[in-house]
Amino acid sequence: MQKGDQDFMPGETLKRVLYIDDDPDIRTVARMALEMVGGLEVEDLGDGREAVTAARRFAPDLVLLDVMMPNIDGPGVLANLRAEADTASIPIVFMTAKAQAHEVSRYRDIGALDVVSKPFDPMSLADTVRAIWAKRHD
Amino acid sequence: MTDGMDDRRSRLAATITRFVSDAQTKAARIAQLLPLAIQEKDAPQRDALLFEGERLAHGLAGAGGTMGFPGVSHAAVPVERFFLNLRGRANLADASIEAQGDLLVRALCGSVSGLDPAKPLERLLPAATSAGGVSPKSATRQDRGILLLEDDDAVAAEMAEQLEHFGYTVKVAKSLGEADALLKEFAPQAMIVDLGLPEGPMAGLEVSIRVPEHADTPFVVLSARGDLPARLAAVRAGAAAYFTKPVPVGSLLDALDSLIFREASESYRILIVDDDPLLAHCYADILNQAGMITQVVNEPLQVMEPVEEFRPDLILLDLHMPKCTGLELAAVLRQQDAYVGIPVVFLSTETSISGHLAAMTLGGDDFLMKPVQPDYLVTAVSARIARARVLRSMISRDSLTGLLNHTHIVDQLDMELSRAQRYNTPLAFVMIDIDYFKRVNDTYGHAAGDRVLQSLARLMRQRFRRSDYIGRYGGEEFAIILPQTDEIQALRLVDELRIAFMQIEHATDKANFRCTFSAGISTFPGYDDAHRLAEAADERLYAAKHAGRNRVFRAGDK
Repeated sequence: MQKGDQDFMPGETLKRVLYIDDDPDIRTVARMALEMVGGLEVEDLGDGREAVTAARRFAPDLVLLDVMMPNIDGPGVLANLRAEADTASIPIVFMTAKAQAHEVSRYRDIGALDVVSKPFDPMSLADTVRAIWAKRHD
Repeated sequence: MTDGMDDRRSRLAATITRFVSDAQTKAARIAQLLPLAIQEKDAPQRDALLFEGERLAHGLAGAGGTMGFPGVSHAAVPVERFFLNLRGRANLADASIEAQGDLLVRALCGSVSGLDPAKPLERLLPAATSAGGVSPKSATRQDRGILLLEDDDAVAAEMAEQLEHFGYTVKVAKSLGEADALLKEFAPQAMIVDLGLPEGPMAGLEVSIRVPEHADTPFVVLSARGDLPARLAAVRAGAAAYFTKPVPVGSLLDALDSLIFREASESYRILIVDDDPLLAHCYADILNQAGMITQVVNEPLQVMEPVEEFRPDLILLDLHMPKCTGLELAAVLRQQDAYVGIPVVFLSTETSISGHLAAMTLGGDDFLMKPVQPDYLVTAVSARIARARVLRSMISRDSLTGLLNHTHIVDQLDMELSRAQRYNTPLAFVMIDIDYFKRVNDTYGHAAGDRVLQSLARLMRQRFRRSDYIGRYGGEEFAIILPQTDEIQALRLVDELRIAFMQIEHATDKANFRCTFSAGISTFPGYDDAHRLAEAADERLYAAKHAGRNRVFRAGDK
């Protein structure tokens, strides 16, 4: 099961989250919510093009990212992360407005773990993410 | 640590303030973009303008609620979709489209004006100032806890006992003063309030004002009075219901159930029939944002299948459509008994009153003038659906148990069987009969017998899904329709129900007693005719009784 130093198998408890969203205000609130309410370690990013670099540096347990972003969208970031051996196994959760059932299926089909609706409630975001994390092997 | 907290607090405050001013700028820009796009003749340039509007609205939709301003998100979603859908169109110079778009944009601008950054800050502050793991302010309410505010000891004792039979935890206060003290430690999910108390003839109404934490706790009023001034005062105080004494316990229980489990009640479903997909989706978005489920039909001639499948609570119908007008469609719907009760609301651009009168005769319930104000659409639709649901349940439900009555269970079985045949899914039909019920009535009285029926009804409602249908078939006979359920699953469910029911202790002043039931199950495929399906279940029930009662029989059991 062990591959090497550069490969990270996500640990059993959720500790580190990489949050990617082009909206700086949402990034501030999300970061605060995940850190303060959820007790998580958070790194946030505004441009999805830097996702692989940031993931390598920060070694997150999970990546939470917005679907609609300029420059590169959610699925694009997912593809980039999956293309690199050392970031390929990090679970990815999308965030998008009012996802319909068929859209959620589509995102799961391309490899996302789950989808969180926007706008999210900052007071319960950490719980939502933890619950998704807990069911990741289902 | 205080420095850290202050720093976080001021960062959060700055973020929210920035969001508010950004939102106002974005909304103003969107307001400019719509007319610019409409006037732009060059297609790629027009699309670019529309795309900009869509992206700005998308940003507001995704952030509003998070920042603490859900109204902004609600107003922005329909705008985003409106711009998105405009991109397909060759010609935007349509007066009704312009007018509708204008209304949506104005609603958005309204939602971002006068926003106070301080308000959400208070709610988000725990996030900014806690060291981790803080739950929001609202205290957890006592599960099924009721505060009974009643100064008559006998009435209070009787009512509390009845409610406790049905799983509620009741605390009694005999005056406003006692209620105040009680509410400091007890957080009920609902309150039952006698109008007249030691403090005054309408003192009961003051209970939700006096304790601010309970301003939102729903309450029902009980009173020996039923006069208009008393009822009006109750309405003004926000009472959810008004019962005159003596109160039928069943009605009170139903009211409490619907208050406490309000969030669990089924979302409103609206079918939108409009040949213009842009407007149809615009209304759908507005209603979706308000938490309703919608389906759009652009081809009026294809409306019947969605009506049957989607089972809308209300139909929004465009009055003027080619091929088949809204009037004609409404008339067709009203021909059929099953659809007579569904409210129909016309969307009209007609200004002549005679046109409206004709429409109402032919089956419309109301009019909304296009272009439609988002707030008005949501309110008008909700109000109509709420009343229609109440009326429908009065007609189709048994008053003692609240379950479907015989006629409706039979009708529903027909419909569900058709659906099962169409989609080739299994369906189970169950007949249940309480054992030795006549003996219960004879020994303990009819009131006790009624309570047994209510207990079983309540138990069934708790254990089955929203998509299952539970009915009172006869005196002590019940029927359950279980769509998408096969024989094995049905057997398991009903047997678990049997065991649970058998354990209930029914209390009377004479003695406590228990009851059992026998049941028979029949399924589709197996029987593909509703009549024969019902007969088969009945035969199985009879066999179960013969074999000794207190058991569930399916095909082949002896």
